[in-house]
Amino acid sequence: MTEPDLDQTQPLDAVPEPPVRIDAYGITDTGKVRQQNEDQFAVGRMTRSLELTHTSLGTVSSLDRLGKTAADIYIVADGVGGVAGGQLASGIAVEALTEYLAQTAGCFYHTDIALEHELLERLEQAAQHAHERVRAFSPKGQGPATTLTMVTLLWPRAYIVHIGDSRGYYLRGERLRQFTRDQTMGELLVDEGVVTEQQARDSGLDNVLASAVGADINPSIGLLDLQYDDTVLLCSDGLTKHVSDEEISAFLQEGQDAASTCRRLVDAALEGGGTDNITVVVARMGRPASPSSD
Amino acid sequence: MIQKKICMVGVYGTGKTSLVQQFVHAKFSERYHSTVGVKIDRKPVTVDGTDVNLLLWDLEGRDGVQDIQTSYLRGASGIIYVADGTRLETFEQILELRVVAKKAIGDVPSVCAVNKVDLTEEWKISDAQIEGLDAPTWHSLKTSAKTGAGVEEAFHWLAATMIGGAEA
Repeated sequence: MTEPDLDQTQPLDAVPEPPVRIDAYGITDTGKVRQQNEDQFAVGRMTRSLELTHTSLGTVSSLDRLGKTAADIYIVADGVGGVAGGQLASGIAVEALTEYLAQTAGCFYHTDIALEHELLERLEQAAQHAHERVRAFSPKGQGPATTLTMVTLLWPRAYIVHIGDSRGYYLRGERLRQFTRDQTMGELLVDEGVVTEQQARDSGLDNVLASAVGADINPSIGLLDLQYDDTVLLCSDGLTKHVSDEEISAFLQEGQDAASTCRRLVDAALEGGGTDNITVVVARMGRPASPSSD
Repeated sequence: MIQKKICMVGVYGTGKTSLVQQFVHAKFSERYHSTVGVKIDRKPVTVDGTDVNLLLWDLEGRDGVQDIQTSYLRGASGIIYVADGTRLETFEQILELRVVAKKAIGDVPSVCAVNKVDLTEEWKISDAQIEGLDAPTWHSLKTSAKTGAGVEEAFHWLAATMIGGAEA
């Protein structure tokens, strides 16, 4: 066996671009009424830990995959249960979730069909892990709690974990669609025919969570195949209390970058009253740049 | 435990989500919500002494057959095609959907659930039409997500056929 000649080591190209160019950003704002911000968000990218800089291998194309992005992660959490409690719950939940995802990063390195359900299970377990961490502060379930809406994107597939009433939308062309369903007592009782939609709104049941991290948890799991030029939006109810779906759609269609779009949405919620904390995460799915344009 | 992926397929408003809700949670709601993307539920069942975890992929119903996203079908061990018995065209579309799905993932065990059988006065599909679809890996039956009629049978027949056991 021949030892590799050190002089012949070859520098590797930069980590290859992912097959989609994502522009993602998040903003949170306390609003005009609340004293503290109980919302949290996270925008992140999981990558492989091994990046070869030099190697004796003649061809490195087979190793390209080692440097590819494993997953993009977007999270929004809206804490409830008193100022300190709510902030604590949403903070712990997002921290625990990201920690768990980082520890189990291996399952994001592939999108093999046979292992897709393992990935879905891991995502659900991550939410469960966050739940247990928050629950530790109130073993009887009477303490702080939080909503949790998370998108894990392995292009083009977006895996969705949803608990509570922080929403997820996507814009395709001119059509805005909500891909989460609010888990509130109002929704639940309207579904069961116990109250009408109007009664649910008037009674305030629409603001009572039927599922929350740290309380009773009933994660909704789903997925969605995205396309180039789609825009994903996650938000706390501080946005949707003041900005209608039609207005959200119009802001997203303006085509500004993710940071500007986030700012526009938050400003609109503030102009509308800003009665709650406002958090938005926007991710735009751009086409990868062609080699000639670099 | 064995895991099997089942896809719920059909055009919009046929009752795919309601069938899953009835099977998994024994619940029915008159309120209509369109599914966006795919909603995933699980249900463990026992078929002839074998424990099987059914992974139920409830696919968004589209307007037409050509709109079905076949990428969601990959890895499915079984399909439940859902038609609305009060809309004849949804039954006819099942046959077209079957061709599309077969091309995408091959011939997997399938059920054709002609749903909303509780709406007897508006029913548009004859028993002969429904039975005419039957084949070794294809079972057709009338279901009602509202009353639960035929729901257990639909899922259990599919589970049994997928794992190669006797028909439930």
